[in-house]
Amino acid sequence: MEIKTEQFTEAVKRELQNARSRAFLKLMPPVLHMKRDISLATFPDIPAAQAYGAAIREEAMERLPELLEEFEKNALANGAKVFWARDAGEANAYITNLAKERGVKYVTKGKSMVTEETGLNEVLSKNGVEAWETDLGEFIAQQLHRPPFHIVGPAINVPVEEVCDLFMKKANMKEPTLDPVKLGYAARLFLRDKFHHVQMGITGINMAVAETGTIINVENEGNIRFTKASPPTQVSVMSLEKVVPTMYDALHLIRLLCRNCTGQKLSAYVSMDSRPKKKDEMDGPEELFIVIVDNGRTKIYQDLKARDVLRCIRCAACLNICPVYGQIGGYAYGWVYSGPMGQVLNPVLLGLDRTQDLYRASTLCGSCKSVCPVGIDHPSLFLYYRAKDVLGDPYFKGKKRPWTEERIFKGWSWAVNRSWRWNLGIRMVRPYINKKATGGVIRKLTRSFDGWFRSRDLPPLAEKTFHERWNEINKGKRANG
Amino acid sequence: MEQSARDEILRKLKAAPKKGIRSRPVLPPLRELSQTKEELIEKFTKNLVEETGVVHRVPDNQAALDKLTEIIQAEGLKKVMVSTDDVVASLDLPAWGKRNNVQVMTPKDFPDRNSFRDAVFNEAEAGITGADFAVAESGTLALIHNKDQARLVSLAPILHMAIVPLERMVPVYERVTEKVFAKKDQLPSQFIFITGPSMTGDIQGALFKGMHGPRRLIVILVG
Repeated sequence: MEIKTEQFTEAVKRELQNARSRAFLKLMPPVLHMKRDISLATFPDIPAAQAYGAAIREEAMERLPELLEEFEKNALANGAKVFWARDAGEANAYITNLAKERGVKYVTKGKSMVTEETGLNEVLSKNGVEAWETDLGEFIAQQLHRPPFHIVGPAINVPVEEVCDLFMKKANMKEPTLDPVKLGYAARLFLRDKFHHVQMGITGINMAVAETGTIINVENEGNIRFTKASPPTQVSVMSLEKVVPTMYDALHLIRLLCRNCTGQKLSAYVSMDSRPKKKDEMDGPEELFIVIVDNGRTKIYQDLKARDVLRCIRCAACLNICPVYGQIGGYAYGWVYSGPMGQVLNPVLLGLDRTQDLYRASTLCGSCKSVCPVGIDHPSLFLYYRAKDVLGDPYFKGKKRPWTEERIFKGWSWAVNRSWRWNLGIRMVRPYINKKATGGVIRKLTRSFDGWFRSRDLPPLAEKTFHERWNEINKGKRANG
Repeated sequence: MEQSARDEILRKLKAAPKKGIRSRPVLPPLRELSQTKEELIEKFTKNLVEETGVVHRVPDNQAALDKLTEIIQAEGLKKVMVSTDDVVASLDLPAWGKRNNVQVMTPKDFPDRNSFRDAVFNEAEAGITGADFAVAESGTLALIHNKDQARLVSLAPILHMAIVPLERMVPVYERVTEKVFAKKDQLPSQFIFITGPSMTGDIQGALFKGMHGPRRLIVILVG
């Protein structure tokens, strides 16, 4: 997927003009958050359930290499094939080769964000293999050539008028309609044909259970089940942090995932694959290939603080509660992952230099941290990245600030280090700053401060600061004995 | 010799600093674990009905067949695909089909996977299966896929009907996976939890049932 993380500011300006998106963001995320709360109430102790989820993922990350080895050993013993890919190129090449070796003309795809990271669909297409996204939202986004608006509902913002036009043009829909149910039915018919004849299916993986060598997919639509039932070849792709220790752990995380994501106790289908089909089974894959993708995660893993980012189970609870996401929607984040989870993941996958705005576009309100079922501390990570960036730390490609800004802040740091300097400074700048006030507020200073005033005004400095008044009062008291 | 991707990835992960593992915090047990059989049946039903599943309860196999007949006639079904799992086998659906003017197909009727696939996609108006377990905590059916439980039977037709003996009702998923994944060399190729019909909300957040999988799920609880 094209990386547009450096266009955050322009994208935000544009997205804020989209009245339809903004109306949608006012309605949908709060509804999802409310459903989340209702469904979490099935736990006798909600904080304990979330804390347990955090403990599972913390342990999984701490034991990551050992769990991956255990998973691989069990998967291989069951008859699956396991391929490790260092980067996007290796993953894409391997999967494309599998398709070409088998003379596959098209694949059906279950939702897989890691394959969006690697750009798998483009590589398949260049090699004569058509990739059909079959998750309804992914299908719409793919056909419209749009990036995802939300990590769970990637086209959830697209107005029905646009979906109708799209399906008339590209999904064999016969009668125009604005009814989502009828539109869904048209997509069902169109994609059903693909499922019927597909020879190779590609899915993601929500969780890989080390204890049994089992891969788990969580879905509502049934497209992943079709992709795993119909074709003789199945390829399932995971980024390497998806492994969990035991089946018990996986079950608890699935409970948390479904509640935090859509407010369901369980999604319609949770399918668990441990091996290719047995000889006398009438459907399912003859060959099961599991692809484990690194693509920058071993690098993140070396940093004990950034490592926590790998706990994420992609529930999107943080998106649904974030006040920033709730204004701007997913496009502005510029890549596969949006919202607070994208703000902590994209910078360490792509570099702090290319994602400058992502870890700064936050009020640090902490709502994301408070809802996260695996205990990621997003605000703390934002501050960590900001520090690394300002220091120009090369590991994650910190960029450092412009020379002038660095000097100004060095000066500022000196000036506020002693209260006498601060008080003297205030008295010196007050007449100049207050001269700029219009209508009782300061709307701009000099041009270099324009960014500060883009969305806020300053009150003028008090003619007498509290400090000055306090000193006067006390002098008066002392004079009067 | 160049290091393989696997070895390189594992080497890097193993070389990373370690934080140490803390012990797991306390997790209070789920309420379902202390509920009675009848409470579980009620909870299962309530949960599944919330997801638009239809739940019938009948005392025995004969009553189950009668219920099936009732449904078939109400729906006007002429052609169904059924599994050959032990629950369905105990009902002898092919014979029942003959009695009720319904063509009953099973996956084993077909010479190869492609012809079975064609039939289950294009001809079956409903899929009828048993279930290995029913889980009360979310109104969920658990199916082990094997030679007697093909995957597409409960997926491709627009209506899925499942017959579930009530002695297979359990409170939580762990009771199921403890059995299904007990023997590492006897794991099923696929195991699945089904909770209601297929659904989506991907168009403007408008939720509806019947996306790619079945649009309706009818469960007959027996016992």
